[in-house]
Amino acid sequence: MALDFSFTEEQEFFRQTVRDAVNRLIMPRVKELDEKEEFPWDLWKEFASLGYLGLRHKEEYGGMETDTITQMIFYEELARGSCGFAMSVIMQILMGTYFIARFGNEEIKQRILVPAIKGEKIGTICFTEDQSGSDLGGTRTLATKVDGGWRLNGRKQWITNGPIADFATVMATVDPKLGLKGLNFYLVERKTENRDGFVSGQRLHKLGSRCSVTGELVLDNVFVPDENFLGEEIGKGVQYAGEILNEVRVMTGMNALAIAKEAMEDAKQYANNRIAFGNPISKYQLIREKFAKYWAWYEASRTFLYRCAWMIQNNIPCINECMLAKYHATEMCMYAVEEAMRIYGGNAFCSEYPVQRFWRDAKFLLYGGGTHEVLCDYLGRVYCKD
Amino acid sequence: MEIYVLVKQVPDPEAIVKVKSDSELEIENKYFTNFFDEIAVEAGLKLKEKFGGKVTVLTLDHRRVDALRRGISMGADEAVQITDPALEGSDPFAVARTLSAYLQNKPFDLIFTGRQAMDDDAGIVGPAVAECLGIPHIHSIIGLEVDAQKKEARVVREVENGKEVLICPLPALFTCQKGLHSPRIPLVMNVMKAMKAQIKKVDLASLGLSPTEVGAQASTIKIQKYLPPPKRPPVKIIKEDFPENVKTLIKLLREEAKVI
Amino acid sequence: MPNGIWVLVEHQDGKVKKISLELLSAGIEFSKKTGQEVGAVLLGSGLEEAVNSLTPYADKIYWINDTLFIPYTSEAYLAGIVPLVKEHQPSILLGGATSTGKDLFPRLAMHLQTGYVPDCTGLSIEENGKLTALRPLFGGKVFAEVGFSEVRPQMATVRNNVFLIKEHPDRSAQIISITPSMDSSLLKKKVVGFEKAEGTKLDITEADIVVAAGRGIKAPEHFKLIEDLADVLNASVGTTRATVDEGWRDLKDQIGKSGKNISAKLYMAFGISGAIHHVLGIGTCKTVVAVDTDPNALIFNYADYGIVGDLFQIVPALTEELKKVLAADR
Repeated sequence: MALDFSFTEEQEFFRQTVRDAVNRLIMPRVKELDEKEEFPWDLWKEFASLGYLGLRHKEEYGGMETDTITQMIFYEELARGSCGFAMSVIMQILMGTYFIARFGNEEIKQRILVPAIKGEKIGTICFTEDQSGSDLGGTRTLATKVDGGWRLNGRKQWITNGPIADFATVMATVDPKLGLKGLNFYLVERKTENRDGFVSGQRLHKLGSRCSVTGELVLDNVFVPDENFLGEEIGKGVQYAGEILNEVRVMTGMNALAIAKEAMEDAKQYANNRIAFGNPISKYQLIREKFAKYWAWYEASRTFLYRCAWMIQNNIPCINECMLAKYHATEMCMYAVEEAMRIYGGNAFCSEYPVQRFWRDAKFLLYGGGTHEVLCDYLGRVYCKD
Repeated sequence: MEIYVLVKQVPDPEAIVKVKSDSELEIENKYFTNFFDEIAVEAGLKLKEKFGGKVTVLTLDHRRVDALRRGISMGADEAVQITDPALEGSDPFAVARTLSAYLQNKPFDLIFTGRQAMDDDAGIVGPAVAECLGIPHIHSIIGLEVDAQKKEARVVREVENGKEVLICPLPALFTCQKGLHSPRIPLVMNVMKAMKAQIKKVDLASLGLSPTEVGAQASTIKIQKYLPPPKRPPVKIIKEDFPENVKTLIKLLREEAKVI
Repeated sequence: MPNGIWVLVEHQDGKVKKISLELLSAGIEFSKKTGQEVGAVLLGSGLEEAVNSLTPYADKIYWINDTLFIPYTSEAYLAGIVPLVKEHQPSILLGGATSTGKDLFPRLAMHLQTGYVPDCTGLSIEENGKLTALRPLFGGKVFAEVGFSEVRPQMATVRNNVFLIKEHPDRSAQIISITPSMDSSLLKKKVVGFEKAEGTKLDITEADIVVAAGRGIKAPEHFKLIEDLADVLNASVGTTRATVDEGWRDLKDQIGKSGKNISAKLYMAFGISGAIHHVLGIGTCKTVVAVDTDPNALIFNYADYGIVGDLFQIVPALTEELKKVLAADR
């Protein structure tokens, strides 16, 4: 059987379990999470105690070593609840701990990774600066080799979990002139009395995904020892980042699927019950078309994303596919949340109904895993190449 | 303490269920473990944690085993599926006879199950199993303390005008109602375990039952016809302003509906 | 040849419960078609008043007189009822879908190797005595007509308010007093305590009128408004899963899928959006009133009368207005 699109019985069971946990722990609180704009520590502890933060990591460090498809099922189900909370959790599972697990020595893994999987330490990754994001070559945070380690100087922005992070994987350059070839990852911990480290800068207030706290990290001549250099060779940071970029993109697409579906299921209920001119508005063709379009794009997107997950799982090169799938899913989601807003009419404009939250949360997905302008420019270039 | 929990996978409360024909329903493919059975699993696990022993989840279903996996992921030790094509069409009494046939020679202190399954909402199997096994049962319990040494349980059950406290010797069967426990959310580690768990399969022959003792032909009750729920006439929205709307409502309730 | 339409009569504090009178009234209607006797079975001592009050509702009253039947336990009831059923072989045995009925009937049916249909919202009978029961499945998303094989008695438990009570003053049932030889060592369970629910209100499954509020009431102390209205209507107060999960109200008052199904004559919902969990529990109420600020609230799809408005304005006004109207009646 060459083509098989079905999930296994086990995967379906896993999905059901996550769905149930999300329904019980997150769903009753989504409005509150959005409005409070605070990191939900109690929810975090509960999710951590259930073991979800170890989904991707080795058993010897307290992880589960699940396969890519299982992880994607988790991301898809988790984002159904709160996109913001999902961002924080996924940062911990994937980007925030990957390089520590990959390059950290045993002492670092015991000290950082093990408590991170238990949820006792919170991690993040730092790429973005005021003049660099998609353009990583513009990174200016400087790493200078000193005796026994490195000194780091710079400011990192848009750091998910930043205001509460205990440790960060920081991208810095050994020489800005080297562009992409000068970049490396360093493990930096939060500054304490006994240890040099980063401090938090300004916290950002966001349009959506508001319960994941986001802000600046400041590196002011921070010393880190040699073992905190996360890599085998200097100048390979971008290549290392590439190892999880496919996953990050498909994961982002999974979040898009979840938000789109939640928004449209909600809009469906509304359209079936909202009466105008004597009929539920779902009886009108212009409203129906919105659902039909969404449905077609959603199904295509979901199939594409899981195919990418399958390719990642089977080590089949899929950089372009993952970019395309992320782009497609996120645009599909933009369509869904926009149309859901229109289906709600004027009611969309007040916070009584959840539809505006889906709309706000979804916008966040445009930037993660590459802005669509950058992705499309690249993809178009690849496609047109002779 | 040896504990058995009878569990069942049922359509999710949100699943769409419609009448397809007189003899057939259309059920959306959205299933979950019966909510009250999860409470029953939780009751078993709580006792195991206190007194040690083993919790076995048992289902009679020849397709779905997810309720068993759910039980394992919550912390049950073993899972048993009674499965046989001949069981198709069994009424709750035939189901109870079959489950009892499995349980009758097993050593057990307690059997738990939900107060009813959220599909047929019948609540027959639990008490009927207790009858077959000749052990006492209490339906719809909301409180439980077990004295392992005296081999008895102190049980609170809900009745119409309050709560009744009973002392019941063990072994016994209790059906569980919301309020007894809040079922735990499984740890991922246990979910992974459940995904790979071996499920013991048992057929009728090994229970010493013949196909004629179960299934539709052995059933004492039979669904003759499915019907859609009675339709309410469209709602009358009282559009007057306050406080006239209140007066109109009272008038309608008195003169049209004649209920007050 | 099995003969007789029997009702297991429930009593409390020496008085017959309403559901039992409803079922006996239905039994008399059925007997007109089938020509069978209507029998009332009640168990317990000190029930003279209850027994006498039953005479206009039956042909025969089987009073199994022993102290061991109060309070109810399944073992005692089984020991009391089984010999009687075996002796007289009734064709039908009905009971209320109550805590007693739901505890006893499945076990009794298994013991008698007969059929039992629980929690019915309708019953009909053919001239040959064949009973058909109507009952909700999947929480009321669909209903089923259920019949019995050749086994007898045909057993069913029925919800409150399915049948109307009708007294037959011309009837005067024969009272058959039975003193069973009960072996108290058979009784495994013992009721050792009873905690009466607060207040004097009927359980929501038993009340003719239920008024309820959901999350829209905003705070637990505001339930006072609903209770005041309930007092005027002699109603019981129900609620939704959300407020129970918040710890605002007791679980025993929760209406819906994980709570109770109610069959009130009048159900009034205030600030209840109408989640499927909830509305499944009110499917068999006769008249439903909904008040909510959201004109698109799903509850309006399940209501007979609706007001789009603020419960904090409507409920007090309704209470005051009803006081006036009902006082004028007296």
